[in-house]
Amino acid sequence: MSTGLKEKIGMKLETYTFKVEAGKVKELALAIGDLREEYLNGEAVLPTFPTVIDFWGGGASTSDLLGLNVKKVLHGEQEYEYLGEIKPGDEITVTGVVEKVYTKAAMNFVILKKEFVNQNGETVLISRSTVIERH
Amino acid sequence: MEIGYQFEPLHKEEITHSQLVRYAGASGDFNPIHTVVPFAESAGLGGVIAHGMLVKGFVGQAIGQWFSTKDLVKFSTRFRAMTRPGEKITVQGSVVDETADRWICQAEAVNEAGEVKVKSSFEIKKR
Repeated sequence: MSTGLKEKIGMKLETYTFKVEAGKVKELALAIGDLREEYLNGEAVLPTFPTVIDFWGGGASTSDLLGLNVKKVLHGEQEYEYLGEIKPGDEITVTGVVEKVYTKAAMNFVILKKEFVNQNGETVLISRSTVIERH
Repeated sequence: MEIGYQFEPLHKEEITHSQLVRYAGASGDFNPIHTVVPFAESAGLGGVIAHGMLVKGFVGQAIGQWFSTKDLVKFSTRFRAMTRPGEKITVQGSVVDETADRWICQAEAVNEAGEVKVKSSFEIKKR
C-alpha cells in the first residue's frame, strides 16, 4: 500500500455545489444513446446523472487527493442509493468522505462515500465509489 | 412480475471512439485513458477503454425500459472487464428476489462473445 493511504480513512473530500442544467442532462442522454423524451426535454435525469454532478461540480482530482497514480487507477464499483428525486433546476451540494481503504490481490481499494443534498436540505442520493489502484 | 422473470435484452450499437469523446465531455471525466490512444498505450492498456460509467449508463437505459426509473431505489455496479471501441454491448437482466415492497433484480452488460463487462444489482419499488 502506498505510504499513508490507510491514514486517509475518514478524510473529508472537497464539498461542491452543482446546478442541474437541462442541457447537461440532454448531453449525457445523447452520449449514452438513452433517448427517452423526459431526459431530452428536461423533465427527469438519468440514473447515472450523479456522475456528471461529481465531475463537473468538483474540481479536485480524487487521484491527486489520495496520492494515487492516475495510470494505475480503475473504477471498480459504483453504487447509488436514490433517496429522493434529482430534477433539472435543482442545486445539489455534495459532501464526501473516505469510508474505507484496504488491500487485496496486490491492489489498493478505496471506498468514497458521498451525500447529495438538494436546495431544500433533503438528502436525495448516497453514492459509494470503489477506486482501485493497481500496483 | 415474479422471481425468475427475464427482461427483454437491450442491444446497443457498436461503441466508437467518437462516443467516448462525447461521453467524456458529457460526464466531465476527461481521464485520457478513455480518449487519447498514446496515453492509454503508455498506461499499458493497449488502447483506450470505455468509461465504466458509460456501460453503467447502458444498464440504466435498460432499467428505464424495464421499469420507471422513478421507482429505482438502489443501483450497484461492479466493473468486471474493460470495454473497447468496436465492441457491441447487450444488457440482459432478471428478477432474482423480492421483499414486501421491492423487486430485487440483476443485470449484466456483455459483449458479442458473452464476456461480462459489468454486473449490476438494482432494487425497484413495487407499485
